[in-house]
Amino acid sequence: MTGTQWVPLALARDIAPGTSAGTMVEDAEIVVWRDTDGRAHAWEDRCPHRGMKLSFGFVRGDHIACLYHGWEFDEGGICRKIPAHPDLEVPGSICAARYGCTETGGMIWAALPLGTDPIEVPALPDAVPVRSITLEAGLITVADMLLNEENAVIEGALATLDCAHGPLAIGVQPIRPGTVALHITTRPGASAETLLAICDWAETLRRAAEKEIAA
Amino acid sequence: MPASRRPASRATFTFFGQIRPDSFAEFAAHRAARLSIALDTIAVDATAARLRVAGAPDLVDAFEMALSLGPADCLVREVERNDND
Repeated sequence: MTGTQWVPLALARDIAPGTSAGTMVEDAEIVVWRDTDGRAHAWEDRCPHRGMKLSFGFVRGDHIACLYHGWEFDEGGICRKIPAHPDLEVPGSICAARYGCTETGGMIWAALPLGTDPIEVPALPDAVPVRSITLEAGLITVADMLLNEENAVIEGALATLDCAHGPLAIGVQPIRPGTVALHITTRPGASAETLLAICDWAETLRRAAEKEIAA
Repeated sequence: MPASRRPASRATFTFFGQIRPDSFAEFAAHRAARLSIALDTIAVDATAARLRVAGAPDLVDAFEMALSLGPADCLVREVERNDND
């Protein structure tokens, strides 16, 4: 990845308020979590204390607490509480590393890599989440297969195309070499049958991609 | 009174062991910055690092613990601490 880029981490629907999940982008470990007011956050998945994954922790209001020693971080990434030192006013220098984070097009996106200047947030139309799917195949293989679909275009980490079941907008998340996640959305108003058919389409795509890698 | 508003703790540490001076000094500076501790590196050689620090008492203790573990390429065998130097 060169320069700053928005990368999808999850379908927005799949990260409920008060929950967290771990994910990866090109081997960088990221915790995506949603506070109880509904704001999504993407941080390095590492407590600055002992390196425990924050995705194993607990969301408390607009804070996330590490599972290991209970260090609690506010939405700005600043440590606000160290349970072993209840009287300590924690200095602002103790903090977790944050990515730029936004929600658009039914997905949660992070600006990568860490520490780069913010770039313009993509404005995507409303979308209905279908499912996320992980493919054990390389990014180029997956991109080629998506581009075989009708009217397919890939811009940055977003693929748009028309499959047999309707238009799709798919966030493409490079997890690590040889592994890609697709976050699949479609237009509002799609029927339940259509959503199931898109799920089948995605399964077929995965089988084909993984078969091509295995061949 | 919050710990960070108590009078700053001042201490001089000497970490003895197998020390790589550049690595240890960088590690100490990083940890001091993370813990908002004032750090004065008095001397570092292959066998010992002598550091003077000032900061919130709990965080000076945390600094001692962190530096006793040290960076991966150093091995601290003994720590000497003198408070209120």
